[in-house]
Amino acid sequence: MKALVKAEGLGKTFTSQPVTSRRLHLADFAWRTHRCEPLWALRNVSFEVAAGEMMGIVGANGAGKSTLLRLLGGIGKPTVGSLQMHGRIGALLDLGGGFQGDLTGRENSILASVVAGLLKDEAVERLPEIVRFAEMEDFIDAPVRTYSAGMTMRLAFSVAVHTKPEIMLVDEYLAVGDLAFQAKCNTRIAKLREAGCAIVLVSHSMDQIREQCDRALWLRQGMVVACDSAKAVATFYEQEMREGSLRRTPKISSRSTNAGAELLPKENRFGSMEMEIADVILHPGAKIGCGEPLGIEICYECKSALKSPIFSVSITQPDGTVCFDTNTQSARVPITQLDGTGCIRLNIDRLDLAPGAYFVNVGVFDSDWSHAYDFHWHVYQLHVEGGSAHKGILAPPCRWAMDLRERESEVNGKFLVGTTDG
Amino acid sequence: MSASVINRSSHEHAWRHLADLFSVLFSRDLKILYKRSSLGFGWALVTPLLQLFIFSFVFRHALQMHVENYASFVFIGVLVFGWFQGALSLCGGLITGSKSLVNQPGFPLTLLPHVMVSVRMFHLLIALPILFGLLWWQGIRPAWSWISLPGLMAVQYLLIVGLAYPLAALNVIFRDTQHIVAVLLQLIMFVTPVFYSLDQVPPSLHAWFHLNPMVGLIQSWRDVLLHGNWPDALVMGKLLAVGSMLLFVGRRTFVNQSDSFAEEL
Repeated sequence: MKALVKAEGLGKTFTSQPVTSRRLHLADFAWRTHRCEPLWALRNVSFEVAAGEMMGIVGANGAGKSTLLRLLGGIGKPTVGSLQMHGRIGALLDLGGGFQGDLTGRENSILASVVAGLLKDEAVERLPEIVRFAEMEDFIDAPVRTYSAGMTMRLAFSVAVHTKPEIMLVDEYLAVGDLAFQAKCNTRIAKLREAGCAIVLVSHSMDQIREQCDRALWLRQGMVVACDSAKAVATFYEQEMREGSLRRTPKISSRSTNAGAELLPKENRFGSMEMEIADVILHPGAKIGCGEPLGIEICYECKSALKSPIFSVSITQPDGTVCFDTNTQSARVPITQLDGTGCIRLNIDRLDLAPGAYFVNVGVFDSDWSHAYDFHWHVYQLHVEGGSAHKGILAPPCRWAMDLRERESEVNGKFLVGTTDG
Repeated sequence: MSASVINRSSHEHAWRHLADLFSVLFSRDLKILYKRSSLGFGWALVTPLLQLFIFSFVFRHALQMHVENYASFVFIGVLVFGWFQGALSLCGGLITGSKSLVNQPGFPLTLLPHVMVSVRMFHLLIALPILFGLLWWQGIRPAWSWISLPGLMAVQYLLIVGLAYPLAALNVIFRDTQHIVAVLLQLIMFVTPVFYSLDQVPPSLHAWFHLNPMVGLIQSWRDVLLHGNWPDALVMGKLLAVGSMLLFVGRRTFVNQSDSFAEEL
């Protein structure tokens, strides 16, 4: 396959002075002098993306992912190195950012399509398809300012993927619309790939990288740590993140939970402790019957204000097998900023786990999962009790039915043989 | 052979796309200006009419200005200077207010000043019929020299775009630019004979006044429309040279800076 994107030894510097003081240096403007030490935002980055290939870019905040994506889009020039882009570039960078609130969805779509590189005739021609994809038929003639954030994003996404790009730059499109629409987006992205579009995707979700990308590039402080198959890079990255949490775990003394379990740093407790999980309370208690509801209340304590932390809860068996895992990010719980103390509660309507011993693991993470603030692993015990003896993990309500067709049907139809219910 | 054909067609495509971009951005700017007002686009006509009324009343009756055909005299000044002032007061925010376009791969930012200056020029164009009506009403009939008006507008267009490029780029790294420009425009308005005639200025100051390109332009417009004269070739030639040089230097500054726009925004 032909390489559509080819980067060799890319490097980009920024001047290290803070912007506020630099603004006054008009000399920079007139003579383009740089009297301060350069700061490398990217250094020696080389890779290729072939037609139909999808390349993931991973890394912590500030690792240079966005800078790289911008350079690929021709926004700014690399300080050193060469970059070749063969084909029309489409971008999902700032979804809906160019929309004008007072103009209608139709006017904005045409404007955005032309700005993205279509001729006006082509834009008009593709509009019905764009509107249909965004499911906006009823609102397209209303001003965009009346749209919800989700509607705006849907329309913007639809415009971007319908401009027939040959190279697509994507900055986390996960957040577009509901789950059904996300599935549609994924299908559309897959179609673009089949049509030979090279895609570069920045993502914090290793699951997305594993599922969708062929290869991934891992950046740390502007340098390439790894560039390999997506699965390998995602696994390395996750491992490093876990180790990062371990390294950040400060030396604090162990303490006991209110339930009496011992919390030992670096053994069953990890994290930077900028935010602590003060207590975890299970409702109704640490012993529940199979199929009963379970409430998990996490009381936290912030040392300072933290921006959109993510709470995560999982239930595991003593050997570490994960039975259930959820977090506030995937459930779209809007947490903006937390400070002081408080509680958050996860209500599970019914827990259909097989009887046995489990652990409830709770954690609170940085907004991009780069490290844990506090994570308690195998601390809180949970016993599920139930009548019938099952093997396996699940014990959902179930029943047996038998359809008897014995000789000339002496007995017809279905009838119940037995019932087990939690 | 085939390569050159493809090359030409892709060139043609690029130009067509540029023209389409211009037209959608142009109509966007116009729509944004008037969409939510109840009078809508009518404001483009009503504003100059009201200005005409205010200025001719204040200056003729309150300040006893004695200039022949004062209403059309002042209207020409208001329209021509209005284009200059309207465009330059907007050029500061041109890049800083278009973050999404700056971040759009492949978007030609050099188009933005042209769109903005053209939108302001459009306001002048739609007010021209009112001006012609006023001239007719005052007994002035069209003369052949009127066909030089597009030339005057072209020179003024060059001057404004040439100034808009560096100012838009400067405002990205030095946000005080737009405020300074706003104050300077106020000052320039008073040293430009919009409401008065250059004849009322002491002759010793004329040389200084002519450093302001708007002086020559407004005088040429008045010469052409009020007296039926052809514009002064020397003045226009100088302005054309200044305008072209401004455009060349200004555009280069803009292009040189444009790589760092995204970082600074």
